[in-house]
Order: sequence, then structure tokens, then C-alpha cells
Amino acid sequence: MMNKIKALICIVIPILLTYALNTKFGDTPPLLRFLNPFTGFWQNAENTRVAANKKLVLKGTLQNVDIAFDDRMIPHIFAQNDHDVYFAQGYVTAMHRLWQMDFQTRFAAGRISEVVGKKAIELDKYQRRMGMVYGAEKSLEGMMADPKSKEMVLAYTAGINAYIHSLSQAKLPVEYKLLDFRPEDWTPLKCALLLKQMSAVLAMGSDEFYMTNIRKKFGTEVVKDLFPDYPFKEDPIIPTGTKWDFDPLPIPTPPADAAEEMLTGNIQTKQKEEGIGSNNWAISGAKTKSGYPILANDPHLDLTLPSIWYQIQLHAPGLNSYGVSLPGAPGIIIGFNQNIAWGVTNVAADVLDFYQIKFKDNTHKNYWYNNEWKNTTTRLEKIIIRGGKTEIDTVYYTHQGPVVYLQKPEKFSKAQNIPVGNALRWIAHDKSNELKTFYLLNRGKNYSDYRKALTYYTAPAQNFVFASADNDIAITANGKFPLKWKDQGKFIMDGSDPKNDWQGWIPASQNPTVKNPPRDFVSSANQSSTDQTYPYYINWEFSPYERAKRINDRLSVMTNATADSIRTMQTDTYSIHAQNILPAILPLVDGSKLNATQKEGFSLVSAWNKHYDAKEVAATIFDLWTKRIQYNIWEDEFNVDGVPMRYPSRDRTVQLILTQPDAKWIDNVNTPQKETLSDLVNEAFKYSCDSLERKYGPIGERWQWANFKHSNVPHLAKIPGFGSKTLMIGGGKMTIDALSESNGPSWRMVIELGKTPKGHGVFPGGQSGNPGSKFYDNMIDTWANGQLYDLFFMQSVDDPSAKIISKLKISKK
Amino acid sequence: MVFIVILIASYLLQMVLPWWIVVVISFATCGLIGKTGKISLWSPFFAILLLWTGMALFKSLPNNNILALRVAGMLGVNSWILVLALSALLGAFIAGVSGFCGYHFRKAVLTKKTNA
Repeated sequence: MMNKIKALICIVIPILLTYALNTKFGDTPPLLRFLNPFTGFWQNAENTRVAANKKLVLKGTLQNVDIAFDDRMIPHIFAQNDHDVYFAQGYVTAMHRLWQMDFQTRFAAGRISEVVGKKAIELDKYQRRMGMVYGAEKSLEGMMADPKSKEMVLAYTAGINAYIHSLSQAKLPVEYKLLDFRPEDWTPLKCALLLKQMSAVLAMGSDEFYMTNIRKKFGTEVVKDLFPDYPFKEDPIIPTGTKWDFDPLPIPTPPADAAEEMLTGNIQTKQKEEGIGSNNWAISGAKTKSGYPILANDPHLDLTLPSIWYQIQLHAPGLNSYGVSLPGAPGIIIGFNQNIAWGVTNVAADVLDFYQIKFKDNTHKNYWYNNEWKNTTTRLEKIIIRGGKTEIDTVYYTHQGPVVYLQKPEKFSKAQNIPVGNALRWIAHDKSNELKTFYLLNRGKNYSDYRKALTYYTAPAQNFVFASADNDIAITANGKFPLKWKDQGKFIMDGSDPKNDWQGWIPASQNPTVKNPPRDFVSSANQSSTDQTYPYYINWEFSPYERAKRINDRLSVMTNATADSIRTMQTDTYSIHAQNILPAILPLVDGSKLNATQKEGFSLVSAWNKHYDAKEVAATIFDLWTKRIQYNIWEDEFNVDGVPMRYPSRDRTVQLILTQPDAKWIDNVNTPQKETLSDLVNEAFKYSCDSLERKYGPIGERWQWANFKHSNVPHLAKIPGFGSKTLMIGGGKMTIDALSESNGPSWRMVIELGKTPKGHGVFPGGQSGNPGSKFYDNMIDTWANGQLYDLFFMQSVDDPSAKIISKLKISKK
Repeated sequence: MVFIVILIASYLLQMVLPWWIVVVISFATCGLIGKTGKISLWSPFFAILLLWTGMALFKSLPNNNILALRVAGMLGVNSWILVLALSALLGAFIAGVSGFCGYHFRKAVLTKKTNA
């Protein structure tokens, strides 16, 4: 008996130990599955010496494909037909970025709980309830309806799957081993999901909830005054005075009265964070040394490793294009070819609206619309949860769209600006085919090809900048814009009145556009698309104008420009905001009441050259100071318990300080005495110096802007150790070099058009998504130093002008 | 002998099978030819320690230890050597325990037979 027990123990102990070291507990990875050197993470340690030649036999291609990798591991694909070029793009993108593509599309589809368990359930529900999968399915219909984009998506998908099927456990990207899941087959829907996620990142903002509360609390007049429909200072994308050469459609009439209901929630009012922005511009040959246009673009996004973008050159009959692609979508999004170059920045169009819905009863089966009860439809969202029971979430849809929340989740920040019981009308739910735009742009030869390509584009709306070797430059605020009455969707609307619905579209040909303007340049930095003469309503508020102003100031005086003059402009850190506001607030500071540190800070700010440079202490003080002034002015009125609101914009604050220093908003209503602007400015200045002193000690190196800002590029899943080091560099959200803590220029590109185009570019990361590759972050330092790489625009696979370190040949047999 | 058998069998079988095959190999080898408890504990221990250290270095050195350093960062230590030590020692530990158990399993079963 004793021996039986002993024998049993001898078997049980190794089994238990094996189980313990082979299983994921909470966030701890399965230890030995991760650590063992035969299939664990050690296998992802890539040899720093790259094999020069590789041959692959794959069934999926029609003909042979040659791929040359340059010294930054950028693939240059040479194929003999469209199918093969996108198949190869799928294959190499997966080879470098599989985990990222997989994770991002699972995120978009609300499937993170499958990987990390219950803690992601609210996130998954949010994604589903916002209609991400619903929108992607619609979008896929659009892609599949066009034979060209269908071929693209199917070939790209087949290429990704050819790579996935070649993987063994040892070869899986390291994040799979860490998070303990496996890749699944790619599908065309995933391409659509990825593009929807871009819409979610760029066009999901909504202040309607807050604005409705502000109108209810302060009245229409105050809204008009503090939240005006056009900014105090502006420098619009389409130059002021540009004529509109079309007959506009009639604008629908607004309903007689708007819904007026106070919406409450358990949210604190916050300062409006500056949205995600980007810059692009093109200058005509009249302003350049070469006599040909130069085009520049730097899209600002939340920076991550693996990098957001993947550089690639695609070559096939009728196609030779170089640029950046999104891992998970075929084609090139921002780039150039022999004849043209193009780039994008976000248009903050109001393409997302909320409608208050009156349901008949708690079954939510009927809602009141146009004086009758209409049926809702339901969509069941099945959410698989790792280590838990699958949840079925029922989402009700009205004709407007999904009713996002019937009950708001607690402690989930993304849900904050979503009003309960409202239906969501969002452009990303519409059938669309953005891929076709990029298909055509990649092959475009001239201005008319560019204009034609844009007509296929729906969302997220972008300012498409353009330049061609024919010496044309142009910019178009482009997307599918609903035909709205003025301010439609500035506030939550009554969902029962058909007049509140979107009632048509601005014709694509009438989207704001300009070609070869007299000033010889076009530019955008997310500011207002047009001046106030444009006949249609796109939105009441865009990003503040400071970056745009600085770009236009510099471009208007530029002559004999070269790629280098444009490059230095992309890293310009001069603050127009400081230029506007410092002359008004500096004289208000009472020097006699400052302590020693504050005095030193004051003299630094007074002497400051207004550049957000890495070593500037004044930039740190100014940044905190002006934020505190905004807080001092607005916090007392706009932070009311249980009534979520937002502050007026920075632009409106500047207007108040410069032109209405005696406005009633200056006084702090929570104190018996009456404050003046000077009181607020002085308090704010002392506050900023004091808080810096508390955090960093006496004024000195630690107060420097770069140290305060702490820029870095984190890992996509925030895995510690897999991100970048802290980068001690300058720039700020309202300067051209819009780099904040971890949001900023995700790709800097400068293209010199000409007989042979010359491209320059860099992104903060590398081509490989493998943290164990030297190509994971090899471009970061170049990016941080404000340098660009010369891009190899190869004419053939043996083009000697490129530094090729490795070649891959895909053949059928 | 036990050492060599485990070393070679573990190397070959891990090419195609998951890491836990070393547990089976250690158990079986010591269960069959382990002479003493001591040998059955330390032979698999050192066999796996050597094998895993060797394999990890084989992958990591040509990589300039880039990945091992990142994993060290993830674990909050600043030396990739520690990550290597952790990997190899954990493997060695479970192999050692398994070998020891294999030996004692045979003892238990054999005694039982003698009794019967």
C-alpha cells in the first residue's frame, strides 16, 4: 500500500510541475513554454546577419515573384501581375508583422477577451456596440462589389495565410508565446476591420453629449458666444477667397425645435485634449530649386512598436509605387510613384451623431419615429471569454444605427461621452470601398487620376494633398460628407423627427478643393477646411489653427526650396500660441510678488524664443502656465457635479484673454471676491513654478521640456521592455513637430517630384515587428534626430542604385 | 550514461515535440537505468542545464542578445544572463525532480513485485 502511494506520488509530482510551468496564470505567461530555448522566446532571437538569398515554393502565386530587401529590411516587390503583387505584400507583411495585424483586428472586432480573459469584456462590448463589426461587414460588401479591390483583398489574404500555414510553434511571433494564443487564418473581413479601426481612431470623437448639457445649463446665447461655429483665429486649408465653381444643392431644413434634455453622468469635466493631428503640404515648382513640386506629409498618431506603418515598394505591370502601408490592408496609403505623390491628414468632419430614442417599452422592440412606432432590429454579439463563459450581448438597432448603451458600464473611460439610450449614426457603418482610392492613387499619373481616385473614398475623411511631375499641386478635404443643416449634430438630436436624419450627401466633386492656388503652395494641419463662404456644413469645430499658421507663414516666404528645407520645417518647434498669448499675459505678472524660483522662471519665459526645444525650461513653464490659466477661467463654471461638460476651446480662451479681459467668465464664482484676469494669470504662474519645483526640485536641467514631456514609443500591448527608451527630444502638440508623450509624427515623408522622383522618409520604429530583430527599432534615432533616409525607388529587381541585403524568390514549383 | 542519454534524447525530441518531453525523458531514463537517487536527480539536472544553456546561447549570441535584453527588461532585471539562468535552471529543476521521481517510481514498483 505504502509503495502504491509512493509510486503514485512519483508520477503526480512531475505531472503537476509540468502543468504548473506550462499554463498561463492570470497575466503570467506559461513559464517554461515561454522560456524554453527550443520553442520559447529564445527562438525569436533573430540572427543579426541576414541570409542573402532565399527561395520559396508557394502554390498561391500565378507567376514568379522577386522580392528585394534593402538595408533597412524594406521589401521591394517585383511581380508580373496584380494578384501576385498583393499576394506577396500579404506574405511579407505577415512575415514581419503577423502578431500586430492579428491583435489590431481582434481589438477592432471586440475579441480581446478571447486572448486576455474577462478584464477586456467592457472594451469588447464597446467595440461591438459601436457597430465596428457591423460596419466592417458593410464595408466588405463594398470592397467585394468591385472586381479590382476584390482581387486585391483576396490575393492579400491568401498571401498572409500562406505565411501563417508555414509557421511552427517555435517560429510564432514572441507576443503569441507571451500572451499564449495562436494566430488564426486571415479573412477579408479582417482587412475591413482594420480600416474601420482607422475610422475609429480618427473619426469617433463626439462632444454632443457635453454640448447638449452646456446648452441646457447656460442657454443658446452662451453656446453661440463660447462655442462659436468659426474660430477667432483661423487660416483655412482652402485659402480664404477661393471661389466655389459649382451650384450647391439645397440645404435641408432643420426641425423647429431641438431636443432639450439634461443628460447626467458620473463624469468629471475635462479640458479638451487636442485631437490627433497631422501635417501635409505641397509646394509648386515656382518655389523650389529644381523647378518641380515637393510634397511633404507627417501623420500624427499614437506611436507604437511594432510601428504603425510598414514601408513597401510594389512593382507590377502598370504599377510602381513606394510608400507606407497599414499592416492588414493591401496597397500603399501614403507615398509616391513615377508621376505623382500624395499624403493625408485628418478632416475633423462631423460624421458621427447621436439620436435620443423613445422606446415603447422595456423590450426595446419598438421606437417612436415620424409619428408611428417602428421596429428595432437586433444583432447578437457573441463574446468568447478566455477562462469564462461565452457572453451573448444583444444590441438594438434603429434605422439610424446601434443603440450603444442602454445602461452605461462603470469605470470605462471610452464610454464617457456616449449618451445612454441614444442611437448612433456613424459614417463608418456605411458600405464603402476605400481600397479602390488607394488602388487608383498607386497607379495615378496626373491630376485627373487623383480627382477620380478620391471619388471612391468614404471615411475617415482626409485632406488628400497631391503633387505631380506635370507641376500640378492640389489639396482636397475628401470623404463622404452628409448633407446637413447648419450645426446638425452639434447637439444630441431627437431621433423621432425625420428632419434630424442625414438627408443626402455633398457631391464628391463639390468637396472643398483647390488646384494650383496663386500662393504656390497647399497645406493642411487639421484646421477648418474652408473659410465661411463654403455653402455646406462640415463641422463647427476643427483642430486649432496654430500648426497650420506656422506652416503657411514659413511656406509663403520660402524660395528655392530643397528637400532639406522641407525636412527642417517638419521638425519646427515654434509655438504660434506663445506668440499670440505671451504679449498679453507676460505684462500681467507682478514680479514683486514672486519668490526666487518664480522670478527665475519668469525671466526665462520672458527671454524665451518660443521654440519647444528639448532643453527649454521656459517651454515647460509656459505649457503648464497656460493650461492652468484655462483651468482658472473655466473650471468654476464648467465643472458641475453629475453634469458632464467640456471647456470652451483654446482659441476661444485666447480670444477672451486678448479682447475681453473683463468678461464675466474671469471671475471665480466660488469665491466671495471678484477676480481679475491678472489674478488668474498670477496664480497660474506661481502654481506652475511651484508644482515643477515640488516634482523636480530647484529650477534646472530636470525642468527641461524633454524631461518633462518624457517622449517614448510604447509597445502596442504595453509590454514593458518591448517599447523604446525615453527620447530626449523637443516638439509639442501645437507645433509643426507635434510630438507629445507618445503621440506624434508616425511617418515623415518628403518627395521631390521630377523626371525621376526622389523620396525621403522615416518612421519611429522599424520594419520588423519582432522585438528580437535589429530591424525592430533601428530607425528611431534617425527619426528622433529629425533626419530622413533616402528611399530606394527601384526600377527593376537588380537596380544597382539600391542597397540590397537579401532577396526572396517566390515560385510556383 | 544517464546524463548522455538524456542530453541526446532531449536534444533530438525537442526538435519536434514540446518542451515537456524532457520531463518524460528524464523520468523514463532514470526509471529504467538510474543507478542511485543521487544520480537520478543530478544527471537530468545537469543534462538539461547544459542543453538549454547551449541552445539559448546558440540563438542569443548571434542576436547580440537583443531579445534576451528586452525580456530582461520585461521581467524588471537588467541582465540577460539572469534570464538565461532562470530559463536553464527552471528546466534543469523540473528535469531533476522528474528523474528523481522516475528512479523512486521504479523502486516502489520493484519492491512491490518482490513483496508479491
